[in-house]
Amino acid sequence: MSAERETRLIVISPASEITPDQVSRAIHAMGKNVTVKESCYGAVVEGQRDIVRQVVSEIKSMDPNGVFSKVRAYPAGDPRRCRAHHGTRPGFAQLEQEWNDLWKIQYGLDRADRGEKARKRKTPGKLPVGEFKKICEVKR
Amino acid sequence: MKIFIDPPNSLILFDLVERSGHEPLSTMAAIQEKIDRTEIDMPPMNLSLEDVMLGLKYAGIEVPSGVRGRLAVWGPMIEAAEAAVIMEDCPYSFGCVGCHRANLMVRYMIKRKNIPVLNVNYPNNEDEATDLVVEIREFLEGLK
Repeated sequence: MSAERETRLIVISPASEITPDQVSRAIHAMGKNVTVKESCYGAVVEGQRDIVRQVVSEIKSMDPNGVFSKVRAYPAGDPRRCRAHHGTRPGFAQLEQEWNDLWKIQYGLDRADRGEKARKRKTPGKLPVGEFKKICEVKR
Repeated sequence: MKIFIDPPNSLILFDLVERSGHEPLSTMAAIQEKIDRTEIDMPPMNLSLEDVMLGLKYAGIEVPSGVRGRLAVWGPMIEAAEAAVIMEDCPYSFGCVGCHRANLMVRYMIKRKNIPVLNVNYPNNEDEATDLVVEIREFLEGLK
């Protein structure tokens, strides 16, 4: 397989109004030389690196803050990973966890686009000796 | 710039770094090279002799093999990194949960490399997510 191969997961935020079906149809309609696989979280796109990146950026333009993507190591439909071939999916727990959090990130991106600033972080201060003694149970 | 992300398989960090026009260094890309270039059964579960030797560069022989195996993948990424974004206080199931010692070693290696590092907290609500996004954006814009 070519080293120029890139496989990308396109993950749609739960708060987005786009559906995985819309994403895969849009990619098919582009007519690019890529493989598309619709999935529950979005789609898997595979092909030449530059074409895949172009496709991903076009899909992101449908909902800039609601569509996320990352590289996937294994090719789409690889028998070692694809569930249709009884492959294992060790990365799915992480993907599921992050998919659950994407609505928060989408909200954060929307607010950041409106120019909101980050709140000041509370820096942990020094621990008073009295409290430290209580923790250590030295004070009796 | 090449940005190391920790957890190195995070979709959120990968996407936010890429949105800012930088190149995220992720486990997925490192494993993809092994899948495409080496004839081994199932990376990263199966290793080549080169990986074993590479792991020894970062941790001694007495260190558990799992740590060395992970560092064989992450070590070269940390060496190539020009900055790092680290997410802290993550839930137990977030990121590479197999070996906490390997994760601690990664933090130590990043600290020793003396590169710009941003520590962000895992977002538990919308306000914290806004803080995360803004902090990452400001940090990455400042690197350009």
